[in-house]
Amino acid sequence: MALDAPVRRVVAIPIPSASMLVAVSGGTERLAAMNHLAKTAILEGVLGEFFPAARAIPSDVAGDGFVPNVEAILARRPDLVLQWGDRGPDIVRPLTEVGLPVLLLRYGTEDLARDWISMLGIATGERERAERLLEWRAAIAGRLTAANADLSETARPKVLYFLRFLAGQQVAGRDTYNDFVIRLAGGRNAAAELQGFKPVGPEQVLVMDPDVILLNGFEEALEPRHVLQHPVLRATRAARTGRVYKMPLGGYRWDPPSQESPLAWLWLASLLHPERVTVDLRATIAELYGWLYGRTPSAGQLDRILRLSIQGDAPGYAPFNG
Amino acid sequence: MTPMLAVPFGPSRSGESARVTVGDPSAHPWRTMWLWTLLLLFPLACLALSLGIGRLAVPPDHVAGILLARWLPIEPRWTEIEARVVEFVRLPRSVLALLVGASLGMAGAALQGVLRNPLVGPQIVGVSSGAAFGGALAILLGAADAGVMAAAFLTGLGSVVVVHGLARVDGAARPLTLVLAGVVVSAFAGALTSLVSWLADPQSTLAAIVYWLMGSVAAASFDEVGLCATSAILGGGLLLLLAFRIDLLSLGDADAAALGVPIEPVRWAVLAAVALLVAGTVAVAGVVGWVGLAVPHLARFLVGPTHGRLLPASALLGGGFLLLVDCAARTLTAAELPLGMLTALVGAPVFALLLRRGVRAGSLA
Repeated sequence: MALDAPVRRVVAIPIPSASMLVAVSGGTERLAAMNHLAKTAILEGVLGEFFPAARAIPSDVAGDGFVPNVEAILARRPDLVLQWGDRGPDIVRPLTEVGLPVLLLRYGTEDLARDWISMLGIATGERERAERLLEWRAAIAGRLTAANADLSETARPKVLYFLRFLAGQQVAGRDTYNDFVIRLAGGRNAAAELQGFKPVGPEQVLVMDPDVILLNGFEEALEPRHVLQHPVLRATRAARTGRVYKMPLGGYRWDPPSQESPLAWLWLASLLHPERVTVDLRATIAELYGWLYGRTPSAGQLDRILRLSIQGDAPGYAPFNG
Repeated sequence: MTPMLAVPFGPSRSGESARVTVGDPSAHPWRTMWLWTLLLLFPLACLALSLGIGRLAVPPDHVAGILLARWLPIEPRWTEIEARVVEFVRLPRSVLALLVGASLGMAGAALQGVLRNPLVGPQIVGVSSGAAFGGALAILLGAADAGVMAAAFLTGLGSVVVVHGLARVDGAARPLTLVLAGVVVSAFAGALTSLVSWLADPQSTLAAIVYWLMGSVAAASFDEVGLCATSAILGGGLLLLLAFRIDLLSLGDADAAALGVPIEPVRWAVLAAVALLVAGTVAVAGVVGWVGLAVPHLARFLVGPTHGRLLPASALLGGGFLLLVDCAARTLTAAELPLGMLTALVGAPVFALLLRRGVRAGSLA
């Protein structure tokens, strides 16, 4: 696919692509329409507060399983449609058959997230912004790798990430993005014997006995108390020491890859190794948001992003308190 | 052509049932006693196994000590983690698997008798899919466990009411139309469940719904045990009270009516009891298929078609069977295997085998 000029009207179907487009292009102006789930993700986070106009952006362009609603998309007259590239041809063909320019996106690893940023930078004519974002990403990854380089395996805390908790517990095994983040932040994955995301029972979690438990940001009702008061899981080392944290929610959720991933890496690294990684996370978030979204988050917004109301008293969380 | 559904399925007038029930023990008192002893021991042995094995190695004497320490003054030699695993993971989970299996076994046996159809189970007559829709909807709406349970109960019972309403003609419902109405309601409830899945956020509630629909007792708690026990006792008790009338109903409506059985009220009561049993299991464990279909066949093979014996035998076998399957689900790999998948993998071939035997014996058309 070749684009003659930077795109002006983009339809974003993959959920994280809408907020990434906002980040790379610096606002919601080019977002012509998006998937209703992408809109929910934007509105429930800080982007909804930064860009109230996002509420009015149509979200009728995709149905069940990201199947595009071609007529609704055509009505928005887009010059680019973003669609999943790894979920089969059925959700792509209807778009290409009517001649829409489609950018296919694959998802789930750090390399793919970097590809998204560069491709969106090229498509929107914002190469410099994209490159700056990538450089910052590489710099933080490099800094954390260096800080944790001499960590022995046993000095790495065992970290368990729950992708689901409230209805059927599922954890991240090896070859997941969360496994990559745990490693980068100086931990080791307590579920490394599993491949991919897998359901587990509480007895298995006790056998894994993680030092730190991370809870997903997807289940809205989920809070650390669900682990701390769980009749079985409260016997884990993580619960006994209170090191149970819910992943923050900024411009996008911090658990999957996004434009804000390095903030999540720094957050986790400073929780795992406060003696090695010292960072003024609130200032870093404010600085990033300043140039990424052109907005300065208020103290209250920073508190909500870091979920201070439910975990402000947790061990290691003091540096994040305003 | 004689429709399959017209084949008498239960104690027959001419003693034909001996062909299905080679194990009918009525003529051998000793054998009867041995058989029932074994039937009783089977779930108990499965329970002991289930409490004793798991991903965490807990020595058997510790398991016994942890369980008995509630009543006996035993010096604890076990760790706190061992105690938590046995008390809060294995005990509720094993008891729940036992109750779910027993409920489904009884529900299946009663359905097969009252509908005179060896090939029906709770899934065929719409109860399971109705309850599944209610539960999925409750998850979508963000309901807590109690809400999921209540919704599954209501829609499970509701679908039986609809099935029965659809099948009634001139105040009576024929077994064939009941099954067909069940197919209709199942399809409709299935579509509603698809709609709920479509509405669900793929990053949060959808995965929860999908996992729940696959069936699992991994998150068992004593609250769930209490709920499932209540439905099992009420539904199972009602079925046992009606056992003799189910026997008569399985002779055919005309014969049953001639023998003074109030056909419609009895059939209603049986269907309501079945709905209660199944909704109780769906609420706590999601959709667990095949137990209600396959287990009654095995039970009928062992104790004969009389429901006074068949219902308890199906409960004992169903409970033990699901316990064994759940042991496999939680111990074969570090990840939990979906219970519904395993029951289908085991139940379908077993059912095929039994079906084949029945066909060879000439008792199934």
